[in-house]
Amino acid sequence: MELSSIPRLAPGCRLHPTEDVLLIPEGTLNLTGPTREILALLDGQKTVEQVVADLLRQYPDAPADVIQKDILDLLSRLQQRGVVRA
Amino acid sequence: MTQPTPSPVLSTPLSLIAELTHRCPLHCLYCSNPIEMQKAELELATEDWQRVFQQAAQMGVLHLHLTGGEPLARKDLPQLIRAGRDAGLYVNMITSGVGLTEERLATLVDAGLEHLQLSFQDIEETSANHIAGTRSHAIKLALVPVLKKFHVAFTINLVVHRMNLDHLEEFIALAEQLQPDRLEIAHVQYYGWALKNRALLMPTAEQVERSIPIVEAARQRLRGKIHLEAVFPDYFGSFPKACVGGWGRQMMLIDPAGLALPCHSAAVIPGLKFDNVRDHDLRWIWQSSSAFNRFRGDAWMSDTCRTCERKERDFGGCRCQAFMLTGDPDAIDPVCSLSPDHGLLQTLRISVPDVLPIWRG
Ligand code: SF4
Ligand code: SF4
Repeated sequence: MELSSIPRLAPGCRLHPTEDVLLIPEGTLNLTGPTREILALLDGQKTVEQVVADLLRQYPDAPADVIQKDILDLLSRLQQRGVVRA
Repeated sequence: MTQPTPSPVLSTPLSLIAELTHRCPLHCLYCSNPIEMQKAELELATEDWQRVFQQAAQMGVLHLHLTGGEPLARKDLPQLIRAGRDAGLYVNMITSGVGLTEERLATLVDAGLEHLQLSFQDIEETSANHIAGTRSHAIKLALVPVLKKFHVAFTINLVVHRMNLDHLEEFIALAEQLQPDRLEIAHVQYYGWALKNRALLMPTAEQVERSIPIVEAARQRLRGKIHLEAVFPDYFGSFPKACVGGWGRQMMLIDPAGLALPCHSAAVIPGLKFDNVRDHDLRWIWQSSSAFNRFRGDAWMSDTCRTCERKERDFGGCRCQAFMLTGDPDAIDPVCSLSPDHGLLQTLRISVPDVLPIWRG
């Protein structure tokens, strides 16, 4: 996963409309912190860099470098788990 | 004697297995459907299933698994998928793929199908068809590129047993070429029809042992590309698994005629009375059906289980297996090394070479 990658949810993965869970084939992943907001931003068009920028607009006081690293880590982990594609 | 703990607070079921029909074009040696199948004319109507899906979602169920038999045998399959999605459920379908054309698949995906599972019987045509009792292997292979055109999660299930476990490596390689999103390796479970063929299908301990590093290597190799899940047979373990996440704790199965079961093979246990979704709503069944309450909590357990700390994890193991092996549904699952009947497993593990297959009619 790189800043220029365009991540999206893998087929068969979607956010539960109300609860903080990601519905995946044969199960669910519990979403903590801002994970849900981050995943909701993945539209198959935005790059990771744009996702970071969007999130920073929502949290203007947050340290940009930390947020960027956290998002990259999170998306890489979810990619390893097969629920995010880039 | 330890006092049973008072009935635990009821959990919410997470998944609903809808056995839409027992009709199926295949005749697998390992079929886990009951030996006495529900007849087509007794099958629930579209409206019944629609109501059941609504009720399930209201109770907090998240996943709906459409299975059979072969779900494609139901003409109203697109309506049923749509009903599941409209209710808010995640819709998965388990299919043999026989009869699935690109056109038909398009209607199913359009109706809201999110995940499709296709099982393979073996690496090559002859033996795969032999196991399925049908010429279905080539049909399945041809279906995969069609499937890949659609935005739907795709899982390949490799069903393994004595007859194919020795070429697991090639079997995984075949699946890898087909590029599913997920790969499941599952051992045959000896329920329903499969029990008739147990002597033929049960792998040897050596086979199972050899397969473990193969699965591990594949898991590493495929990480990030194909998500691999493997379920090992508990016949070879020292502790049982929590069957279906514990009796009456996580899932409900509705059979083609509307009977609600706590597990796939619950009907083998004598004396259980199953309630029908035609007569009761799902919540009532979950809370009050005697079949669901039969093995909840620990009151029914032997002292060995009731005083054992693993009971919160395995809930005393599989009830159907305990009954089929010992004749007593309350017995400790013989897979458990603390069971007085654990020795039975040793006998079963010994291979019986000259047995003939029995296919489903
Ligand atoms: S195991 Fe085989 S015969 Fe049994 S329902 Fe499944 S596909 Fe049909
Ligand atoms: S004694 Fe009962 S609860 Fe303990 S491990 Fe064995 S089956 Fe499970």
